[in-house]
Amino acid sequence: MSFDVVLRSIFSAAFLASVLRISTPLILPALGGLITDLSGAVNIALEGIMLTSAFTGVIVSAYSGSIFLGVLAGVASGVLISFVLGWFHLHLETDIILAGIAINILATGGTIFLLYVLTGDKGNSQSLASGRVPNINLPLIQDIPFLGRVISGQHIFVWIAFILTWLVAIYLYRTPWGTHLRAVGENPEAAETMGINVKRTRMIALLISGFLASFGGLTMSMAYLTIFQREMTAGRGFIALAAVYLGGRKPWGTLLAAMLFGFADALSHQLGSLNIPSQLVQTIPYFVTIMALVIYNLREQAIKRERRRKFQEQHMQSVASIES
Amino acid sequence: MIRKLYMKPAVREFLRILLAITISLGLGFIITLLVSEDPIGAYRAFLTGPVSRINRAGEWIKEAITLTLLGLSVALVFKAKLFSLGAEGQMLLGALVSGTIALFVPLPSVLRIPLALIAGMLVGGLFGALPGYLKAHLNANEIVSTLMLNAIALRVYDYFLIFHIKPEGAGYNASDFFPKEGVLPTFIPNLPFLADAYELFSRRANITIMLYIAIVVVILVWYLMYRTPFGYELRMMGANMKFARYGGIDTKRSVVLTFAISGVVAGLAGAYLGMGIHQKLIANITIGIAFEGIVVALLARNNPVAVPFAALAYGYLRAGADIMERSSDVSREMVLVIQAIIILLVTAERVLPIIQQRVSAMRENNKATAPEEGGQNVV
Repeated sequence: MSFDVVLRSIFSAAFLASVLRISTPLILPALGGLITDLSGAVNIALEGIMLTSAFTGVIVSAYSGSIFLGVLAGVASGVLISFVLGWFHLHLETDIILAGIAINILATGGTIFLLYVLTGDKGNSQSLASGRVPNINLPLIQDIPFLGRVISGQHIFVWIAFILTWLVAIYLYRTPWGTHLRAVGENPEAAETMGINVKRTRMIALLISGFLASFGGLTMSMAYLTIFQREMTAGRGFIALAAVYLGGRKPWGTLLAAMLFGFADALSHQLGSLNIPSQLVQTIPYFVTIMALVIYNLREQAIKRERRRKFQEQHMQSVASIES
Repeated sequence: MIRKLYMKPAVREFLRILLAITISLGLGFIITLLVSEDPIGAYRAFLTGPVSRINRAGEWIKEAITLTLLGLSVALVFKAKLFSLGAEGQMLLGALVSGTIALFVPLPSVLRIPLALIAGMLVGGLFGALPGYLKAHLNANEIVSTLMLNAIALRVYDYFLIFHIKPEGAGYNASDFFPKEGVLPTFIPNLPFLADAYELFSRRANITIMLYIAIVVVILVWYLMYRTPFGYELRMMGANMKFARYGGIDTKRSVVLTFAISGVVAGLAGAYLGMGIHQKLIANITIGIAFEGIVVALLARNNPVAVPFAALAYGYLRAGADIMERSSDVSREMVLVIQAIIILLVTAERVLPIIQQRVSAMRENNKATAPEEGGQNVV
C-alpha cells in the first residue's frame, strides 16, 4: 500500500471517528487523574478502578438485564474502590502509591477470580449476555457530509467524556470547592491554616476521580467491546496519567493529550500497512510525555524563581521606603 | 522480658508483618470457603503444595531467585525514600539484550554467559539511570517517568522480538530456545561424585547457578548500603533529603547512582528470566512479576539481608497458588487478592497502633480505675 493511501485514510471520517472512540476510555480516567493530581496525590489506581467498574457493569447488566443498572453499579463500584483507597491513604496513612498498587492488584486478581466463579471461564465473559450502551444519532448533523460521519452515531460515553471535561473545568476553576482542591494540592499546610479540611478535600478528589475513571472502564466493556476480558484495560490507566502531564494539568489540555494518545494508537494500526512497525510509532506519545513533564517542571521552576525575585524586590523597596 | 523485646522496633516490625500475613491468609481461607467445593483440600494444596514434590520445590526456588533480585532492586530505591516503578522496563531490556547475546553471539558458554549477564545488567543500569537523571536534574516525577519508560521498553522489546528475533515465518511471538551455550547451567556442577544429584536436579528441578549469583548480589547490596560512603549517602537521603543536601551530600549524583544500581539488579533479573527460567524470549516475559519486587521490599522492610527470606515466603505463596489452581477448583488469582491485602496491611502505618490502642484501652477498662480517655486521644 502506498503512502498517500494511508494519508487519505487518516483524513477520512471513519478514521477520525475511530480516534474519538479509542480516545474515550483514555479521556475519562485522565480527568480523574487530573483531579487527584491537582489535589496533591498521584492516583495510580485508575487502572484498577477501571477494571472494577468494567467488570461490575458487565456482570450487573447481564444478570439484571438492565443496561442502566449495569452502568449505575459500575460507577458505584468504581467510587467504592476509590473510597477504600482514600480510606487507607488518609485514615490509615498508607503511602498512596503503594495503596494504589495494591488496589490494582486487587482489581486484576479479584475480577479474574470472580469471573471464574461466575462463568467458569478465566478469559472473558462471553457466556453472559451483557448490555451495550446506546449510540447517539444526531438528526440533522448526521446528514452533513464529513462531520456527520465523525460525530454522529458515536456511543453515549463519547459525549459523556466531553461533557464531563467541561464540568470538570467548571468545577476546578469556577467553584469554591475547586479552588479549595487546588489550594490543597499547591500547599496543604497553607490550606489547612486557611481552614480547609485537607483530608476531606482529598477524599472528595479521590471519589470524583473514581467516578470519572469508572466511566472509562464502562466504555471498555459496554461500548468499545461488549464483554469483559481479563486485564482488558491494558495499561490505559497509566496512559491516562501520562495525558494529565502532557496536557499541562488542565482539563481541556488533558482531553487533547488523551486524544493525541488515541490518535497515535489509531495511526499505528494504519501504518502497519506501510510496513512501519506499529510498536515504534506507539512509543512516540510516551517520549512526548516525558519531554512535556520536563518542560513543565522547568517552567514551574522558572516561575518560582521569578516570583521569589519579585518578592525580594518588593521587600527591598518597602524596607527602603520605611528607612527614608 | 517479653515487654522489653516487644519494645524493639525490629521485633515490632516483624510482628506486624506476621500479623498482616496471618490476616490475609485468613481472609484467603474465607474466600476459599465461599467458592470451593472442597475448601480444605484447596487450601492444603495452597499451603503445602510447594514442598510436596521436588519439581514443585524447584519452581518455588526459581521464583524466589527472581523475587530476590527484584526485591533488592526496589529496596535500594526505597531506602533512599525514592520511588521507582521502572523494574519492568529494566527487566525487559535486560532480557532483550542478554537474550540476543545468548542466542546469536558465537562464543563458548564460559564467555557467552558472563557477557550476556553483564550486558543485561549494563542496559538495565543505563535505563535505570534515566529516570534518576530526569528526577535529579530536571525534577521530573519519577513515578510517572518510570511508568512511561516501561511503556516504551515494552514496545521496543516487542518490536525487536517480532521483527528481528523470532524465527522467520513463526506463528507465535517467541524466539527459538537458546542454544546450550546461552542457558545458565544447573547449580550443582557436573562432577563424578555429584552425578546423582546433578541428574536429579537438572532433569526435575532446574535451579541454575543464578542461585549463587543472587546470594552474592544480596551480600554486595548489603555491603554497598552499610559499608560504603555511597551507602551512607543513600541512607542519609532516606532519613532526610534536605538534611542530606545541607550536610554536603551531592544528592543529584546520589539519586542518579541509586537509580542506576537499582536498574543493574533489575537488568540481571531480566537476564535471568530469559536465560534461566524460560530459556527463550517470549512476549510479555515480565507479566505478573513486574511489581512484585515492591511487595518483597516491603516485607523485608528494605533490608537487603531480609530480602531473600521475604522472597522465599512470598514466592511460596505464588507457587502454592499455582498448585492450588491445578489441583482444585479455586483459581490462582486468589493469591493476588491475598497479596493486595498484605500490601495494604503492611504499609498502613496505623493498623498496628490502632490495634494496640484498642487492646490497651480494654486493659484500662478491665482495671476499672482509669477513665476511658486513654484510648481516645492518641493520634
